[in-house]
Amino acid sequence: MKILAKLYATLRKYAPPDNELGEFFEVEFNGATISDLIEQLGFTQEQARIVFVNDSQTSDLLSTLSNGDRVVMFPPVGGG
Amino acid sequence: MSKILRINMSDLGHKWETLPKKYETLAGRAFTSAVIHDEVDPTCHPLREKNKFVIAPGLLAGTMAPSSGRLSVGGKSPLTGGIKEANAGGLTATRLGYLDLRGVIIEGAPPAETKDWYSIYFGKDKCEVKKTNDYAGMGLYELIGKIWKDYPNKPGIIGCGIAGQRLHKGAGVFGNNVENTDPGRYAGRGGLGAVLGSKRIIAIISDASDGSRPEAKDKDRFEKGRKAFKDALENHALTGRLNNEKGEPYGALKNYGTNVLQNILNEAGALPTRGFRTGRFEDAAKISGEAVHDLIDKTRKKFGNKAEGKYGHACHPGCVIACSNVVPYEKTGKAQVSPLEYETAWAFGTNLGIGVLHDVAEMNRICNDLGLDTIDAGNAIAMFMESGLIDFGDGPAAIELLKKGYNSESAEGALVCSGALTAGETLGVSRIPVVKGQALPAYDPRAIRGIGVTYATTTMGADHTAGYTIAAEIVGIKGTVTDPKAIDKAGLSRTFQATTAYIDSTGYCLFIAFCILDDDSGFGGMLDTVNGFLGKDIDVGEYGMAVLKNERAFNKGAGFTAKDGRLPEFFHTEPLPPHNVVFEVSDEEIDAVYKDM
Ligand code: SF4
Repeated sequence: MKILAKLYATLRKYAPPDNELGEFFEVEFNGATISDLIEQLGFTQEQARIVFVNDSQTSDLLSTLSNGDRVVMFPPVGGG
Repeated sequence: MSKILRINMSDLGHKWETLPKKYETLAGRAFTSAVIHDEVDPTCHPLREKNKFVIAPGLLAGTMAPSSGRLSVGGKSPLTGGIKEANAGGLTATRLGYLDLRGVIIEGAPPAETKDWYSIYFGKDKCEVKKTNDYAGMGLYELIGKIWKDYPNKPGIIGCGIAGQRLHKGAGVFGNNVENTDPGRYAGRGGLGAVLGSKRIIAIISDASDGSRPEAKDKDRFEKGRKAFKDALENHALTGRLNNEKGEPYGALKNYGTNVLQNILNEAGALPTRGFRTGRFEDAAKISGEAVHDLIDKTRKKFGNKAEGKYGHACHPGCVIACSNVVPYEKTGKAQVSPLEYETAWAFGTNLGIGVLHDVAEMNRICNDLGLDTIDAGNAIAMFMESGLIDFGDGPAAIELLKKGYNSESAEGALVCSGALTAGETLGVSRIPVVKGQALPAYDPRAIRGIGVTYATTTMGADHTAGYTIAAEIVGIKGTVTDPKAIDKAGLSRTFQATTAYIDSTGYCLFIAFCILDDDSGFGGMLDTVNGFLGKDIDVGEYGMAVLKNERAFNKGAGFTAKDGRLPEFFHTEPLPPHNVVFEVSDEEIDAVYKDM
C-alpha cells in the first residue's frame, strides 16, 4: 500500500533528498503498523517521539495503517 | 555575604545593603517578586515614583552549573496592572553573580520636569548614576556598541530603548548578547521597559572585572550534581549536543532553536494563524527552525568564514543547550538578527499570515532596535490587520507600520508600541487576544487547553512560560506521549506554574525542564547543584508555591479578582479549524487552580 509520510527536524535526513520541508513524500509500504513504517524508513521508535496519523496525535505505534494514510513524525522537540 | 544595591532615582543616591535573613534563599524571580510584594504599594501607578524596578540574577548565575545564567527583572507592570517578572539571558546575570549581588532595587523617580536621562554603572564596591543624555533616542544596536566603547571591560547591559523612553506599554527590557552584537536578549513582556523610562534610566551597566566566581557552600555536592546534570542535558535528544557520532544533527534545540515548534504546532492544528482564526498556516515550514537551519548552512557554503549565521548559539556564558541563533541575510551572509525565537517567528509570521523569513526577521530586528516586546508588537500589528487598515500577509506594509515606532509624531507608531489591547480597542476590534491586558503567545488555547488554563490563571497575564503545559500536552515529555484528553488541566497547570517559579529563581533556563522531567539522574543532579550551593535542602514545590503566593497577594491588592482570570469571549464561541474546537474549560475549573490561595 501507499503511505504519505512527512518528517521534521532531526528525522528529515530519513526523507528522500528532494523532499521539500513541510511536504509529504510517498512510501511504498510493505508492513502493517506505525512501528513497521518507522523501521522501513530507517530510524528507531525512540526517535519518533511525536506521531500524527491523519491529523490526530497517537502514542500507539502498534496501530495498523491503511492505504493513503498521512503519517507525520517528529523527534523530541520543545522550546518556547 | 551577598548584598543588595539600592538606587534612589529621586535623589540619585545609592546604598549597599546586606541581604536580610528572610531573603537568604531567594534569588531570580523569587527575589524580584518578594521585593515587589514587600515594598511596592499594589495600587500605585506603574509609571510613577512609587513603583520599583528590581533586577535579580538567578541563584546559580556565574557558577559553573550549565545553563544557569538567567536574569529576572520585576516590577508592577504598566501593561497588566499586576506583578511582573520577565526573564532573559545575556551577560548581566553572570556579572551580578560575580559581584555577589542578589539584587539591584531601583526606586523613586527624578522630578517630573526633568528632561535629563541617566544610566547606572556599577562594579565591585562602586556605583554611579550618570547623566547620559547622549544615549537617549538612539537605536539599541548603536547604543550597545557605544557603551562597550565607553566601558571597555565588556560589561553586561540592560535597559530600555525608544519605546520605553516614551513610556509605551509594549516596551521590553533589552540585554546585550555575549558578543555585544545584538541587543536581542529581551526580558520582553509586561512593559517593564517603560518602568525604566519612567525613572529616566536608559542603561544599567554592570562591570564584573574585579569580581569572582561565586562558590557553593557544599562544593562536593554541587560538583557531583553539576556533572550529572550536564551529562543528562548533553545526552537528551532535545537539549543535547549538535551532532551524533555519525556527524548528523542530534539535539533539536541546538540545531533548530525553539522555532522547531513551528511545524509541530502546525501539524497539531494548534498554531494560531492570522489573528487566531485557524490552527494551521500553509507557510509555517518556510519560517520554521528547520528553514533557519537550512538558510544558515546555505550561507555558510556560499560565504565561507565571512558568513555570520549561526545555530547552537548560547544566550549567556555557559549555556550547554544553546538554542539561540543568528539569522543571516540570504544575499550577504551577514547577521540580520539574533535570536529569532519561536514566539517571534510566530508573532510576525504566522499570526500575520506572513511566510517570508526575511520579513519576519526584519521585524524582529526593528523590535530589538526600538526596545519592543515582539509578542505584543506582533499582536498589535495583527489588530491593524483585523481592522482592515493593512492586509494579512502584507510583509512590507507590516514593516512600514513597525518603523513608525521610531517617529515620535506618529500616532500609529505609538499604537504599535502600546500592545495589542490598546491597539485593538483604539481600532474598534472585538477579537483581542489578551489576558490581563497581555497578548497571547503562540499556542491556541482552544486546541491545547492546559496552556489556556495557564494563560487565564497566571499572575503574569497571558504567558506560556509561566506554566508550560505543552511539555505534557504535545511534546509528551515524561517517557510517553500523554493523551491530551486524559489530562487534568487545572492540576497540570498548577504543578507547572509552581515548578516554573522555582526554576525561574535558580538561574536555570526553563528549557532544562524538558530534560529533567525525562531523566531522573538529571533531575537529581540539578537539585544537588541548588541545594549544594545553598548548603541546605529546599523543596521545589514549596519554594515555587511561596513565590506564587507573593505574586497572587500583590495582584489581589492591585484589585484583581477571578473575573480577570478569563480568556477573551471569542475563544469560547469561535471554533478553531482544523479540529473545530472551542475552549471548553469551565470557569469553575479555572478557579479551582488556586481556590485555596
Ligand atoms: S537554552 Fe536557549 S534560552 Fe535557555 S539559556 Fe540556553 S540559549 Fe538561553
